[in-house]
Amino acid sequence: MSSADGAAPRIALAVRALAAGYGDQPVVEGVDLDVPLGQVVAVAGPNGAGKSTLLKAILGIARLLGGRITLDGADVTRLPLQKLARLGVGYVPQLDDVFDALRVRENLEMGGYLCTRRERAQRFDRTLTVFPQLTPLLERYVETLSGGQRKMTAIARVLMLDPKILVLDEPTAGLSPELSRMVLHEQVRVLGDLGTSVLLVEQKAVAALEVSDWAYLMVRGRVVMSAPAATILADPSMREVFLGGAGTAAAVEGASR
Amino acid sequence: MSLFVDAVGFGIASGAVIALGAVGFTVQFGISNVLNITYGALMTLAAYLGLVLVGWHLSVWLALVVVAVVIGGISVAFNRALVSPLVQRGASPFGLIVVTVAAGIVLQYVVTAIAGPQAQTYGEQGNSSIGVLGMTFSVAQVTIIAITVVVMLALHLLLTRTQLGRAMRATASNRTLARSCGIATDRVSDLAWLLSGMLCGAAGVALAITVVSFDFTLGATFLIPMIAAAVLGGVGQPYGAMLGGLVVGLVTQITGALWDPSYQDVVALGVLIVMLLVRPRGLFGAAWSARRLLA
Ligand SMILES: Nc1ncnc2c1ncn2[C@@H]1O[C@H](COP(=O)(O)OP(=O)(O)OP(=O)(O)O)[C@@H](O)[C@H]1O
Ligand SMILES: [Mg+2]
Repeated sequence: MSSADGAAPRIALAVRALAAGYGDQPVVEGVDLDVPLGQVVAVAGPNGAGKSTLLKAILGIARLLGGRITLDGADVTRLPLQKLARLGVGYVPQLDDVFDALRVRENLEMGGYLCTRRERAQRFDRTLTVFPQLTPLLERYVETLSGGQRKMTAIARVLMLDPKILVLDEPTAGLSPELSRMVLHEQVRVLGDLGTSVLLVEQKAVAALEVSDWAYLMVRGRVVMSAPAATILADPSMREVFLGGAGTAAAVEGASR
Repeated sequence: MSLFVDAVGFGIASGAVIALGAVGFTVQFGISNVLNITYGALMTLAAYLGLVLVGWHLSVWLALVVVAVVIGGISVAFNRALVSPLVQRGASPFGLIVVTVAAGIVLQYVVTAIAGPQAQTYGEQGNSSIGVLGMTFSVAQVTIIAITVVVMLALHLLLTRTQLGRAMRATASNRTLARSCGIATDRVSDLAWLLSGMLCGAAGVALAITVVSFDFTLGATFLIPMIAAAVLGGVGQPYGAMLGGLVVGLVTQITGALWDPSYQDVVALGVLIVMLLVRPRGLFGAAWSARRLLA
C-alpha cells in the first residue's frame, strides 16, 4: 500500500461536503471522501446508510444537493453520466446492473462502447479469461441467467470499459464465496495495483478491508469513521467498531470466515 | 374462392402498410417508453404533404421518400419541444398519453383547416398488375410490399449488427446503465424518434396510395389496426410488429371481403382483445414492456 506521509498521493476522485438525496431532503450529508490514484477505497455501513446514494450522487444519478466532486483535480460536479464514462469512470450499480434484453455478448460490447473495434475485440478476449464461465453463455439473453451469472456479466461489462476509476456497488452480492474472493482479490486488488482507482461498497466488511487501502464507515448518511484498512484490521477496537457499524449478518459472516 | 384469394392479396398489401406504421410506433415506444398517440395525426399530415408534392408533379414514390424525411424531422422536433421536457419534469405516463392525444387532435384540426374536409386522392397509380399464386397485385401494392420488406431488413440489421443499433436496444433496456457505458442516450432517443417519424411518414403516404381516396381521418382510423399489430407482436418488438401487421391486414381484409368492409376496425379491435386474452404478452410471449426492442 502506498505513500503514507511523504509526497501526498494524487487524488483520482475527491468528494467534498457532498449532500444528496432523492427529493429535497438529503439522504447523505457532509461527506468528504478521497480515492487516491491506484488505491482501493471501501465504504461500509448498515443497510440504508446511504452508501448507494453516495455513489449515485458521485455519478450524477441521485439528486445532488450540495458539494463538489473532482476527478484528478478537474471539477466534474453535475457532469452527466455519459461524460463521466468518457473520462474513464466505470460503474456497476447495486441493482439493474445488466442489460436484460441484450445477450451476454452484447452486454460486453456495450461495456466497450467507447473503444475502437480492435480494442473491443482484445478486451473481450481478456475479459473472458477473467470469467471463463461466461463463454458458454455468450449468446444467452441476460434475463435468462441466474443471479450470479448476471453479476459476472455486470462486472465483465465494466471491465470492457477499462476504467481509470471503478465504482462498484456490492459487486459480490449473489456470487459464490470463491467467486467473491476471486472478484475482490484478483480483480479489484489487482486493478488497484495496476493503477486503477477503485471505490468499493461492500457488505462483506472484512473481505473488503483485506483488499482495500482505506476504508470509510457510513451510518445514517454520514461518514463516522475513516482510516487505513490495515489499521482497522490490526486494531481490535477499531475493527470491532467498524464491523459493528457495518452491523450486518454479512459483516459477521465475513469476520468469522 | 377468388374473392378470398383476392382478399388475401389485399390483406398482404394492407398488412405491409400496417407493419410499416406499427414498427415505427413500436421502435419509438420501446426506447422512450412514451405511447405516442400523435403518431396517427402525423400520418395524416404525411398523406397531405404527399398530396402537395404530387401536386408539384413529383412521383408518389419520390414524395414518399421526401415526406418520410420531413415527418422524421417533425417527430424529432416534437420530442425535443414537448415530450422530452415533460418527461424531464417528471410527467406521468398517463399525463404523456393525454398530451400526445391532444397534440394529435390539434394537428388533425390544423390539417383539416388548411386542406378542407373533402376527400383527396393522389390519382390512380397505373393499372398494370402482377399475378402471384392466383392473387393480383397492383404495381403500387408490390412496390409498397417491397419497401416494407427492405425497411424491415434494414432495421433488423441496424438493431442487431451495428453498434448504434445495439446502443438503441441497450438504451431501451436500461437507460442509466447505457449512459454509464458512455452512450449518449438523448442522441439515441433522437434517432428513435427520427426513425419512427420516417416510418410514420412513409406509412402515411403508402396508405394514401393504397386506399386511393382519403380525408383527415386517415391516420386516426389507421391508429387502431396499427396499435393492434404492435400489441399483437408484443410492444417494443419490430419483428412482432411486422408479423402483427400481416395478421391484422389479412384478418381485416378477409372479413371485409367475405362480410362487410365497414366492420374492419371492429374486427381489428376484436383481434386485439382476443389476442390479449389468449396471449397477454403478444404472439411471441415476450415481456409486454417498453424495456426491450427485440425478441
Ligand atoms: N430511489 C430512491 N428514492 C427515495 N429514497 C431512496 C431511494 N433509494 C434509496 N432511498 C433511501 O435512501 C436511504 C439510503 O439508501 P441507500 O440505497 O443509499 O442505502 P445503502 O447504504 O446502499 O443500503 P444497502 O446496504 O441496503 O444497499 C434509504 O433510507 C432509502 O430508503
Ligand atoms: Mg446500497
